[in-house]
Amino acid sequence: MSTDVLEIADDSPEAVLALYETRGWGDGLPMVPPTPARVDAALAALGDVDPDEVIATLPPRLGEATRRVIAVNAVLAGCPPACLPVLVSAVRALARPEVNLRGVNATTHPVAPLLIVSGEIAEQAGYNGGLGAFGPGNRPNATTGRALRLVLMHVAGAVPGPGDASTQGGPAKYAYCVAEHLAATPWEGLAPGLASAVTIHCGEAPHNFHDMESGDPGRILDKCASAMASLGQNNVVIAQGEYLVALGPEHAATIASAGWTTRDVASYLFERARLPATEIRANFTSIAWPPWMHAVPDGELMPMTGSPDNIKVFVCGGAGKHSSVIPSWGMTKSVTVPVES
Amino acid sequence: MKIYAPDGRIGVPPKPRAPSPAVLTGLRVAVLDNGKPNARLLLTRAAEQLAARTGAVVELVTDKGPGHNAATACSDLVLDRITEEVDLVLTGSAD
Repeated sequence: MSTDVLEIADDSPEAVLALYETRGWGDGLPMVPPTPARVDAALAALGDVDPDEVIATLPPRLGEATRRVIAVNAVLAGCPPACLPVLVSAVRALARPEVNLRGVNATTHPVAPLLIVSGEIAEQAGYNGGLGAFGPGNRPNATTGRALRLVLMHVAGAVPGPGDASTQGGPAKYAYCVAEHLAATPWEGLAPGLASAVTIHCGEAPHNFHDMESGDPGRILDKCASAMASLGQNNVVIAQGEYLVALGPEHAATIASAGWTTRDVASYLFERARLPATEIRANFTSIAWPPWMHAVPDGELMPMTGSPDNIKVFVCGGAGKHSSVIPSWGMTKSVTVPVES
Repeated sequence: MKIYAPDGRIGVPPKPRAPSPAVLTGLRVAVLDNGKPNARLLLTRAAEQLAARTGAVVELVTDKGPGHNAATACSDLVLDRITEEVDLVLTGSAD
């Protein structure tokens, strides 16, 4: 077994919090004591698998995330056992090299991995992709997001200071998990062909945009483009940076009813989310662009990312004319993996 | 009663770090600018001081290649050049 066992006087949340605090563990909130019985119950949701198999080795600490260690953190966060397959798959996704987890954890930027749950598991485990999806009130969203953060802190070592240099931190670093609202998605979704999947996108907290009036896709998406075109975002000088556009169902329906695909949305935003090249050059010396972007003359407009492929679209939320865009940290790529059954 | 620790074991680094040379005299030094503000200035000055004190030679000052920065490895082209032309590299500068 790869997981240490500790002695504690009682299983009250206060006792666990006190013990964990002395060791630099925890996110500051009360935690459920990870007793062997609770952890075994969580592991049972994964079926007949090796609980001590190393799923991923997570930097910067290079901690080994076994299913048991992941289950311990799930219990701490109050995660229902039915959410364990999502959490294990999310950890597997975080270890993909294109995520660049070492950078995500260690940067001064406030980036946090957003976990998006798609498909059957979202419905079976009770994740919320509808009204208030990014907000409080749903246990699977809140606790899975929190458990993933605890894995990052405990296993990866992303503790503010020694392993997480984020200048201001951010609320998305507490819990950042939603479901994709596939029933309200007029397109094929983030994980076509997969019964259940998780997507990891390492980015900022959602930037809201609203349009209560338009029946025209371009007018709606111009608000999104406006939110994207900001000198303060990392992506302005990092060509590989992604944007994740979280369309509310009403905006998505309006856009799709005009015959637009997600590719059309991405192409339009690539064209419209731009800043003057002169202004960018005047403000930055550290620029990670490919040669063609360096060749864009002063006086022309520069796209906020190097390709429409870097703009991803999904649907979540409930009634209302609000959507959001989530700029990435920059030197990271989103990944989608199937949920481990 | 018993509870689990949440951190798990520490794994083995995928590649060991190269040992530092015991003597720098005569060695060729590169400065690898990681793209952070003032990194090139700071690292180059440090390399020059190192060379003056030890008899090493500052052979190469380079960035990481187009599209690369502090959050990524350098391009293969730059890595090949460093491997070919120098014995040790100064890099790493934060915000």
